[in-house]
Amino acid sequence: MYTTLLIQALISGIILGALYGLIGCSLTIIYGTMRVVNFSHGEFVIGGCYAVMLFYVASGLHPLLSVPLVFVAFFVIGLALYFLLMPRLSRSDDPELASFLTFYGVSLMAGAALLYFFGADTRSLNYVFTPSVIRIAGFILPTAQLVVLGIGLLIIIALTWFLYRTIQGKALRAAIMNRDAIQIVGVNINNLSALAFGLALGLAAVTGVLLALVFPAFVPFSGLDFTLIGFVVIVLGGLGHPVGAIVGGIIFGIAEQLSIIFLPQSLSQVVGFIILVGMVALRPSGLFGKVAMR
Amino acid sequence: MSSSRLVWVRTSIWIAFLVLSTAALALLPHMGYSLAFWFNLLLWIAMASGLNLMAGFTGYLPFGYVAFYGIGAYAAAISVKMLGLPIWAGLVASLLAGAALSLLFARTMVLRGIYFSIVSLALAVICRLLIANLPDSVAGGSFGIPLGISNPLGSYYLMLAVALATLLIVTWLAQSRLGLALLAIRDDPDTAEAMGVNIGRARLKAWVLSSIIASVTGAIEAWHTSIVDTETAFNLLISTKAIIYAVAGGLGTVIGPVVGVVTMLIVDDLIWQNFPILNVFLLGLVIVLLMLFLPSGIVGTLIRRKPALRRVLF
Repeated sequence: MYTTLLIQALISGIILGALYGLIGCSLTIIYGTMRVVNFSHGEFVIGGCYAVMLFYVASGLHPLLSVPLVFVAFFVIGLALYFLLMPRLSRSDDPELASFLTFYGVSLMAGAALLYFFGADTRSLNYVFTPSVIRIAGFILPTAQLVVLGIGLLIIIALTWFLYRTIQGKALRAAIMNRDAIQIVGVNINNLSALAFGLALGLAAVTGVLLALVFPAFVPFSGLDFTLIGFVVIVLGGLGHPVGAIVGGIIFGIAEQLSIIFLPQSLSQVVGFIILVGMVALRPSGLFGKVAMR
Repeated sequence: MSSSRLVWVRTSIWIAFLVLSTAALALLPHMGYSLAFWFNLLLWIAMASGLNLMAGFTGYLPFGYVAFYGIGAYAAAISVKMLGLPIWAGLVASLLAGAALSLLFARTMVLRGIYFSIVSLALAVICRLLIANLPDSVAGGSFGIPLGISNPLGSYYLMLAVALATLLIVTWLAQSRLGLALLAIRDDPDTAEAMGVNIGRARLKAWVLSSIIASVTGAIEAWHTSIVDTETAFNLLISTKAIIYAVAGGLGTVIGPVVGVVTMLIVDDLIWQNFPILNVFLLGLVIVLLMLFLPSGIVGTLIRRKPALRRVLF
């Protein structure tokens, strides 16, 4: 019985962790290319949750069909935000601080807008997969979790392919490593950053779609929680390392789910943060970070 | 005007302003004004200036600044309610707790930039969860601790004293060798070290000072409202508000945080009165516009655009 519980916690930890990893991954793409601290990231994840709800209510189609639509919509929002905010922000003395506060403002605005349109009540996506659970080797697993894990993995593979095999992806990673050098070899950093911003917000919203399938309910103000998780995850994985963020996310997810078994519920939230502090004390550059940030 | 004379003149003007405002604020209760707004104003002046001491002078931005505020509130509440000590002992306890916690967290200063900020935030969350999980007989559990004593007038005067003391400390720091050393470290740590500045010690002093200000402020707020609970005492919004107010005025300037707090509280009040539904949205918009158009804050931008203003603003 105990091992069953343990293994189930492990599995849901991996699934949630993959989603946390995706949040961290999109956050680190923005931070890495632009040194912009997107404090409103969680609101866009929640935005994805509401988008799939709207899509499902309006069309009655399978919620997963909304993934490309949501991606494109938030990609465009990302481009718009980038061209609206970044030209001025990047000229400030301390872009990191300025962007953190600007996006804190954006986060307040986005949260307030969600509250205005959808109200303060918790909403949920009333979609149930049939069959709702699958039995594999004696373990009962919700179908939703398995489907979400599958799609999450697909997205991670597609993203890794994009980052390591396409010219834009390589340019993006190069920009994360050295923003000045890449301009010398003739890359238009503005267009590249805009692409990164759109991509990251699209990813965040798609993660929200997947979260809506797994998490029972969402509220307009839980954005900050996801932003925080995203930051913890990227520090765990190593700043500016998209794949490291996913590994960090999975570690965080497993730790969170395991501690729910062993610790009282209110204390279990501490574990992820304690891992973060421990990691920083032992290996400040994160799991995959090569250079310690000074 | 020679530079030392310039400093002397503007510091005198500023101190005179502080003395006059303190006198006026001290007389307020006798004229029958409601103290709620003014207490709030003084609280945020202390918090924003305390944060400025760390963020403005060393470049380290602690997102988890609220940890010290919360620990101060709890230290005071536990000493007064659970141990039955008088309120002044509670304040001393909060001061010691803030100093102890800051020393415990001092090692995080090996991290830079966003790393430091996120870890500081994580530490604040850990503090909140640990205190919420202490037995009810120690820290009141999730219901918090009702102090059972409330003294709006006493806490108002104490807050006034702490806000004034904080501003005097920052004013002193801006002219002191320590302040100069901190600014040198912030702008170029390697050169500062080569010139013989003890980086670790200088930073630690600013860190402990800044933490104590937050912890004593937390204790006074607990005394003012006569209840502490983990959700309000460790609310992350306290950190973000302190940061935004300080930045709105201008980090690294002495007057900036005061200007920031006054401006933002007035803006906040106007928004609440005129647009109750859209208030959070508009507050967000104000912050975005502020950062886009005045990234060094009100005072910082004024000094930069009109260098002559250095005679009075710093």
